[in-house]
Amino acid sequence: MAGLAERGWQALGRRFRGHLRSRWLLWTMLVLLLAALLGLLVWLTGRYEASAVQSRLDAEALEVVSDLRNGLARNMRQLQLLTPDKPGVWSAQSTELLQQRREIMRLEWRDPQLQTLFGQDALTRAPVFSRTPRAQSAADVSLACSTAMRFDGAAYSNSYFVPQPDGLGLELMDLCIPQTVSGRLIGFTVATYALSEMLVELASAQLPRGYALAFTEADGTRLAMHGQLGQGQKLYKAQLLLDLPGNTLVVRMETRQGTADLFPNPLSALVSSMALALALVLLLLVRDMRRRQKVEQDLAEALAFRNAMEDSLSTGLRARDLQGNITYVNPAFCKMVGLQAEQLLQSGDQAPYWPPEMVALYSRRQQDRYNNSAVLRAGHESVFQRSDGTRFPVLIMEAPLINAQGRHTGWMSAVLDISEQRRNEDLSRASQDRLQATARLAMVGEMASLLSHELNQPLAAIASYANGSVNLLQDALQQGQSADGAALAVDLLTALQRISGQAERAGKVIRSVHDFVRRREQPRQAVAPQDLLDAIMPLVALQARKLAVQVISTVAPDCPAVLCDRTMVEQVLLNLVRNGMQAMQGTPTRGAHRVLELQVHAVHSEGESVRWVEFSVSDLGHGIDPAVAQQLFTPFFTTKAEGMGLGLSLCRTVVEQHGGTLRFESHRPQGTVFHFTLPATALSEADRPTLALSTA
Amino acid sequence: MNQLPNATVYVIDDDAGVRDALAWLLRSRRLLSELFDSGESFEAYISRPGFEVREPSCALLDVRMGALSGLALFDRIVKRGLLPVMPVIFLTGHADVPTAVDAVKGGAFDFCEKPFSDNALVDRVEQAVAHSAAALNEQRQGRQLQRRLAGLTEREHEVMQRVVEGLSNKQVADGLSISVRTVEVHRARVFEKMAVKSAVELVNLLRGLDRV
Repeated sequence: MAGLAERGWQALGRRFRGHLRSRWLLWTMLVLLLAALLGLLVWLTGRYEASAVQSRLDAEALEVVSDLRNGLARNMRQLQLLTPDKPGVWSAQSTELLQQRREIMRLEWRDPQLQTLFGQDALTRAPVFSRTPRAQSAADVSLACSTAMRFDGAAYSNSYFVPQPDGLGLELMDLCIPQTVSGRLIGFTVATYALSEMLVELASAQLPRGYALAFTEADGTRLAMHGQLGQGQKLYKAQLLLDLPGNTLVVRMETRQGTADLFPNPLSALVSSMALALALVLLLLVRDMRRRQKVEQDLAEALAFRNAMEDSLSTGLRARDLQGNITYVNPAFCKMVGLQAEQLLQSGDQAPYWPPEMVALYSRRQQDRYNNSAVLRAGHESVFQRSDGTRFPVLIMEAPLINAQGRHTGWMSAVLDISEQRRNEDLSRASQDRLQATARLAMVGEMASLLSHELNQPLAAIASYANGSVNLLQDALQQGQSADGAALAVDLLTALQRISGQAERAGKVIRSVHDFVRRREQPRQAVAPQDLLDAIMPLVALQARKLAVQVISTVAPDCPAVLCDRTMVEQVLLNLVRNGMQAMQGTPTRGAHRVLELQVHAVHSEGESVRWVEFSVSDLGHGIDPAVAQQLFTPFFTTKAEGMGLGLSLCRTVVEQHGGTLRFESHRPQGTVFHFTLPATALSEADRPTLALSTA
Repeated sequence: MNQLPNATVYVIDDDAGVRDALAWLLRSRRLLSELFDSGESFEAYISRPGFEVREPSCALLDVRMGALSGLALFDRIVKRGLLPVMPVIFLTGHADVPTAVDAVKGGAFDFCEKPFSDNALVDRVEQAVAHSAAALNEQRQGRQLQRRLAGLTEREHEVMQRVVEGLSNKQVADGLSISVRTVEVHRARVFEKMAVKSAVELVNLLRGLDRV
């Protein structure tokens, strides 16, 4: 049972540990997944933000380019209106235009040979060609004008750098517009644009903060720029081509957006906080689950403990509901009745362990008992049937089953198999009977022995007298007497011989009775002293309980076995023990006043070849009166009202038949000790005592 | 039948009726008896100073008696060395036969079961007494021999030993460094003192001594 429970525990522990491991794995995966999800979410949000910024930038750039294009087209229309009819008029017109369009640095009117006829610089700033002569850019202008002629429209020159008096420089670009009058070229209007001013004037109208706008060459060299970049770490770029006749400009728009902000917008913040909340909820769930697991584990332990307890019980447990159906049985009960738990649980209200002939009685009795629950606890005896048909007595104790809600749901019974107890009782009764029968037989034998002795004595005397008389008469006859006397003597002789014969016959009768009653001397056997004590113990214990006597028996460890007629020696022990216990009847029951001691030990007396074992029986009784001691072994002498006076006499006979001695002495501080000796077995058969060399 | 008129039979039995009846029976066969009512009284009798068995005797012992049982008393008799001159016959009841058998193995003359039939007991008593008489005789002769031997001088003793060994006078004389004449004188005196007529007689006598 215990082993089973242990194995159960180990299995449970293993399962539990395995469970724990897989659980931890699950938790780790969950946390990792959650973290990955969160990271992905934040990353996606960031990416979304970035793409939003980029697309806004692209849109802005498109707008800027179209603004630029529109502005340049508008300027071109106004420039086409300039006509050099009169220098004064052109000058006024151009001045006005320059005031309106600040991106234009200078206006020139050139003849078809590209000779500058009029030139007007913007008034709001220093003339751009003050440090470097205009001639340096003549190649660009002529290239633009020739391109314009080829296109039969306006054309722009490549941009070129012109240092300025303030130490900086300007990137300039010329626009050459051929002027025709009725198909005849009359000259060219050349407008010089500053790229930086173009950005300021034409494109910066709705340029948001943080944006930088620039013209760049194809290789990325910045030609002019406008606007201030923000503090952000990430740079967004949009590049668009502004293709003008004769020249193509790259417009680049840039902005910086900060990524220092973890939650760049409310959405990602919301998502993140929800994820955090999720994690928190998860944590709470984990704690709850751990608590649950703890409770579960405690429950499992309690369950395992209960199971182990039930399995270890040798008492059968059985629960029944109010209809009498079995709802639970423990292994001990199954073992007791020899049925499986399943068979019992499905058996209905007529239990399969009820003997068939008793079913009706048991059903009725069960109803009666349940109607009158007061008597249940006391327990009652019953008879059950095993699966193999054998019957056995049981003791049943029942108690009501109350569930967690306080409702009465059935009955719990504890069932004890008392067949072993019964058997023991029977056995002990049988051995008691046997001992008592032997005691009676021994008594009768002893009595026959005593009677034969007592009767033999007078018979011996009679026979002696008769024989003596016969002898005398024969002598007288031989010496010769008178005839009368002789005849008388012969008659007397006959009578005397018959007396002698009858005495002998009486002796034979006694002998045959004696032979019949007396057990033939049993072959002696080696018996361990402990076995002798064990044999009489049941009977002794019975009387000891009745008389409230404590019996202590001690056998010396090195004590050899004794060679004896076992039955008779048991009688001797029994007699002495009984006498001892009866002697203590007058003493107080409390304390150690009623103690009877049985001791066995080997006796080694020097000079004797025989080893002896001495048995001592000591009591704490009232002792033996000197007057009584004199007659103690006399047959039919007794101090007990119901005694026959044969007990001690028998004891002595038996002990002496074994060659031992029986003696007694006073016990300190009170009481009597009887000692008797029996020969030990260690010697061979040839060395057995042939003679009682007693020291009595 | 009446060859031993001086014989004494000691009857030890605690039952007066049996005791007296036995005395009567023995007297009818001309045997004197002395009666004791217990083992103790008989033990006192044999252990009093100066007690000696001078006449053929026999003891009839009852196995079952009071404190000192027949067996215990027998033990005392054996210890005192009285057994050869005082054979012991046990009187037993039927129950005590095994005990008595053991006693016979231990040296008792015999046992008789009560009640006694015819004259079997007395016959055995007479045999025991005869046994006792023989033993006494032997004892007496032994003592006489001892006395005679004690009367020899040392030189006579030496001469006697050599004569018994079968040496001639000459050899004895050489062995003791004395003259043959002197040996003859000593030898004659030894024969006279030991009351024998020849060396053969002397040898027989001394063999008897060894037996005793």
